[in-house]
Amino acid sequence: MRKITYWVFIIVVISLIFLPPANSQETYKVGAAIALSGSIAVYGEGFKKAIDLATDEMNGKGGIKGKKLEIIYEDNKSTPKDCVSAVRKLITVDKVPVIIGPAASSNFMAAAPVAQESKVVMISAQGAAPALTKAGEYIFRVFPSDVLQGKGISDLCLKLGYMEVPIMYVNNDWGLGLKNVFVENFKKAGGKVLDEIPYDEKKTDYRTELIRATKGNPKAVVNLTYIVEGSVMFKQAYEMGIQTQWICGSAAKAPKLVELAGKAVEGIIGTYPVFSQETKEYQAFRSLWTKKYGDAKIPIFGEYNYDMVHLIAMAIDRGGYTADGIRKALFEVAKGYRGVTGDKTFDQDRGVGSEYGVWTIKDGQIIDYKK
Amino acid sequence: MSYILQSIFNGLLAGCIYALFAMGLTMVYRVLNFVNFAHGELIMWGAYLLYLFMGDPFHFPLYVALIPALGFTILLGLGMDWIVFKPLRRTNRLTLLIAALGISFFLRNGAQLFWGAELRTYGFEIKRGWRLFHISMTANQMAIILATLGCIIIVYLLLYRSIIGKAMRAVSDNLELARVTGINAKKTIRFTWIISSALACVGGILLALDTNLQPGMGMINLVKAFAAILLGGVGNVWGALWGGIFIGLAENLSVLFISTGYKDSIAFGMMVLLLLLRPRVLYGSQE
Repeated sequence: MRKITYWVFIIVVISLIFLPPANSQETYKVGAAIALSGSIAVYGEGFKKAIDLATDEMNGKGGIKGKKLEIIYEDNKSTPKDCVSAVRKLITVDKVPVIIGPAASSNFMAAAPVAQESKVVMISAQGAAPALTKAGEYIFRVFPSDVLQGKGISDLCLKLGYMEVPIMYVNNDWGLGLKNVFVENFKKAGGKVLDEIPYDEKKTDYRTELIRATKGNPKAVVNLTYIVEGSVMFKQAYEMGIQTQWICGSAAKAPKLVELAGKAVEGIIGTYPVFSQETKEYQAFRSLWTKKYGDAKIPIFGEYNYDMVHLIAMAIDRGGYTADGIRKALFEVAKGYRGVTGDKTFDQDRGVGSEYGVWTIKDGQIIDYKK
Repeated sequence: MSYILQSIFNGLLAGCIYALFAMGLTMVYRVLNFVNFAHGELIMWGAYLLYLFMGDPFHFPLYVALIPALGFTILLGLGMDWIVFKPLRRTNRLTLLIAALGISFFLRNGAQLFWGAELRTYGFEIKRGWRLFHISMTANQMAIILATLGCIIIVYLLLYRSIIGKAMRAVSDNLELARVTGINAKKTIRFTWIISSALACVGGILLALDTNLQPGMGMINLVKAFAAILLGGVGNVWGALWGGIFIGLAENLSVLFISTGYKDSIAFGMMVLLLLLRPRVLYGSQE
């Protein structure tokens, strides 16, 4: 027994001596705590593709200062609890100075204080909750806040002449935040909110919520939903013969929704942060994507994830491979930077601005809405 | 008015699904005296197996694919018992419970490995429901109600009109005594697993037909089935049936008055109340 302890001790000492110190490693490691399983894994697979695309592109061009960028994926299982564990593991075990944060605002906001306390930069490419980056100066977002989108949906309702609408929303930080901004703006503009219907994620039956929302046959219903919940809901609404104009946010704008719900989602409309698809950055991105994956089916938020990886790489290049260096350099490299998703200049809340467009589904295709 | 009628109908639908899950679960509890946490995964695998036999490379039509799906789910249930629960039969109930939790994780992640975590559908075209007395209903929903009725009748016939059902009731009352009187306990236990798995498979398929397929679909609804079992008295098959339907109705009707955000809390609130007021339900009701 003592012999074994002795040898274990020897091996530990030897490995400590010969283990390379953290900053002389061969690659620049970046953590990614994204959802590879659980309820929003349907998004996570697309993010990973976009992140890999940007990483491979960069490494193909020789990496950063001759070193390759390496993404360490850690499954966050789509729950706030596991997001915290995933981020903690990336910080303590992999010792990364910068982390690509979890999707879904609730999950991101659960893990953000951990990154902030450990002084590690964490960035969101799709979190829209207004309070997303309030955890501190190490938390960034490359996706516009819902303060903008909530107003966008309200303006859309008014423009289409829907002055009285009920609102349904996913009962989490994102849904609640967006709902509040919408209600505030809509009331201020003279609109009337008929009813507020929160609903839980991941359910298989939303008929009760649908009945309650369409009580009195409103002409339009605002529904702040995700892909999975939306597909179940619109299918059930179609079967129940509910006829109303559905108005959504950006989280439902996905080919997957059409694939799951088919003709039940024909004609729904929604707002989304827009960026021009005519720019040379976007064209280059699209041709890269098609070359690597064989189709142009770019997943929702894919462009934002792609831009985020580029910003991280530029910040490492400029500020060095430390959290504080990256944090400071992010402001500098992003200023006036035109990515695939447009101008990425960070404001004082470490977020970005955007314009809003309107999408609709026609003949199974997501297209720009024109009236 | 149509608003309330539709809510009642929706409640009945949800109740039927809960009842199918709860009946199978409570049956295993009665005979083997432990809560099978992996029951939710039998539900999910039943639905996914149908998906498997309807897709590549088989492409069976629905009614043909039902047969192998049912068969393999039953085999899965029997296999679970044979490999894990049988060697643990003489240990205490906690060990069995933990083993069941383990199987549940194993099967759920197994399904995720094969089919991925994303949502799937059987790919049938969506149809507008018919309107009948101001209630809209679809063919799938009619199938849910009819299949539930069918299952109830079959379970009744098996339990009360067949020798093996009698043996099952005897084993659940007292395993040792049943053995002494010459009842083949092994065969009875096997039979229990067959019925329980078959009910899980049918329920899972109906649920997936009406909604979607997802690796977590069993687990989510299993919690409601627990509530139904408690409500009906643990181990009581008919109690589980009524408990399921009651919970389905209560959930759907309650949101007419309170916020939909509290829908799930109804079932659990009732469960807690019941445990406080009638703690004896845990010991099961003897007929």
